Amino acid sequence: MTDANGTVVRIRGLRTRFGPHVVHDGLDLEVHPGEVLGVVGGSGSGKSVLLRHVLGLLRPERGEVEVLGQDIWSLGEGERYALQARQGVLFQDGALFSSLTVAENIQAPWRERLQLSERLLQRLTGLKLALVGLPRDACHKYPAELSGGMRKRAGLARALALDPELLFLDEPTAGLDPIGAAAFDRLIGGLQRSLGLTVVMVTHDLDSLAAICDRVAALVDKRAVVGTLQELRNLDHPWLRAYFDGPRGRAALPAAAGLGA
Amino acid sequence: MDAWLTGTYAHERLLVEAGGRWTLPALPELDERGRRLLADAPAGGGAASIDLQAVQKLDTAGAWLLHELTRELAERGWRVEWSGARDAHAGLLAEIRRMTAEPLPPAPDVNPLLRVIANLGRNTLAALDEARRLLSFYGQTLVALSRLALRPRRLRLTSLTHHLEQTCVNALPIVGLISFLIGIVMAYQGADQLRRFGAEIFTVDLLAISTLREIGILLTAVVVAGRSGSAFTAQIGMMKVNEEIDALRTLGLDPLEVLVLPRLLALMIALPLLAFFADIMALFGGGLMCAFALDISPDQYLGRLSQAIWPRTFWVGIAKAPVFAFVIAMVACYEGLTVDGSAESVGRKTTMSVVVAIFLVIVFDAIFSIVFSALGL
Repeated sequence: MTDANGTVVRIRGLRTRFGPHVVHDGLDLEVHPGEVLGVVGGSGSGKSVLLRHVLGLLRPERGEVEVLGQDIWSLGEGERYALQARQGVLFQDGALFSSLTVAENIQAPWRERLQLSERLLQRLTGLKLALVGLPRDACHKYPAELSGGMRKRAGLARALALDPELLFLDEPTAGLDPIGAAAFDRLIGGLQRSLGLTVVMVTHDLDSLAAICDRVAALVDKRAVVGTLQELRNLDHPWLRAYFDGPRGRAALPAAAGLGA
Repeated sequence: MDAWLTGTYAHERLLVEAGGRWTLPALPELDERGRRLLADAPAGGGAASIDLQAVQKLDTAGAWLLHELTRELAERGWRVEWSGARDAHAGLLAEIRRMTAEPLPPAPDVNPLLRVIANLGRNTLAALDEARRLLSFYGQTLVALSRLALRPRRLRLTSLTHHLEQTCVNALPIVGLISFLIGIVMAYQGADQLRRFGAEIFTVDLLAISTLREIGILLTAVVVAGRSGSAFTAQIGMMKVNEEIDALRTLGLDPLEVLVLPRLLALMIALPLLAFFADIMALFGGGLMCAFALDISPDQYLGRLSQAIWPRTFWVGIAKAPVFAFVIAMVACYEGLTVDGSAESVGRKTTMSVVVAIFLVIVFDAIFSIVFSALGL
């Protein structure tokens, strides 16, 4: 469900400041339904901060943040609780509850919000594990016993527990080896298509951008420059040039757009 | 409207109709209807069709339930076919079909009696192992201390002063307040009992001797174990979680020398000073109580005090302080270094550190009592 203009997330005139340090100033951004939007930017450009604004964890100094057609900073507690069920978040290292097993982590949102029988809980947990490609015997393990890649998959399973329409990912491939990262990209792409998700993904990973993102928002000069990967590569901005045309950029994004220059 | 699932049996066909919002919130109800439908369906099977035309919204849970229903019908001998699924739902239905939502493997479950016995054994071994490792940590610390004694320049003065401030200066208000109040309580309770014998003046003896020999130092040690011991464990534990301890080692620095010794020495300096302060505050509180409630004037109080106690009384109490400090710092740093990488473990070890430190302080206090009485002190 979206607002009249078919926008899932709309940010208008966002301004963020930490002490004297202005991170965002007049930032506008829209996320369309069913797309995968990658958010890129240098260290300290406020990618994660932007995510925290949209999730309602951090109040911006100024500006509007609308998620699924609702202005999150003017919602009452009950409305915000309802909105939160419609969005899932995967934090950088999974942010699994360390005192609960994987199965209990995935079940936590259901136990909190729904009255499901133990049988349904078990079955749905199995389903979510299968969705994110975790082996079934991982369910009784504690997060500390899992590898980084498995923690992310378990975190994703928890994020998907309530079948959200909107999924936020904070550096989903950071800390994974290239094979694991590519597999995770494929997983997200596949889930996005089959579940019809809208995905907002903060990332450094050029391979992820090329593989699954429909559009890219680059945070430069305290604002967001949005376009397809192709469009951004043709823009003449020093940071974007350095980002896309650096050695890593060229390796990840083969010749395709480089010819335009 | 929400969601529905109905089944009718006609002309030897089972017609199942599904509709509405087949999403997670409706799942318990749909599951219930599914059970009933399966129970009501005639035995023996036959042809069945599930009409999905009226399904407006479908999520993974709903798709799973459809497959589940289909599977269970098939198990009962029905040949199931679907009709009318929307194009938008086809992808999801196909995706979920590939997922096998078999029951999860059961959590390893053992006989409860066996588990109790196994836990007892495991915990006993763990406790012995813990004692052995604490002892070896004690040895390592002594080695590090003697290395430091040979080369005193390696002492990290900045760190030492920082911890002195944290454990000593910043603890003054709480230690002072608690001792002051305990002084008041002891004077009052003592006087209450001694009044019956007309021996109120001996309240001062009671207060002075018990404070100087036992209460002052014990109370301070308990407060410090709770305050600084837990802080040491949490600090070192978080460093362990962040791999800072490993980083120190790879830089050729000895965590024992960098982290443990400054804390240990700081606490060994701080605790006697705090105990002295606690003694003073308790005697002050007791004196105040005597003056206001018992009509023992400050002059009388001080006079009686000088008769009741000797320098020895004071030293017997304060001599225990460095030992208690050593025990507390030892336990706290050891627990911090045994944190195993999760935030939960930091919490557990911090609790452990405080409990073990207080326990050991009291054990050592008992040992001191026996030794002192054998020495006739």
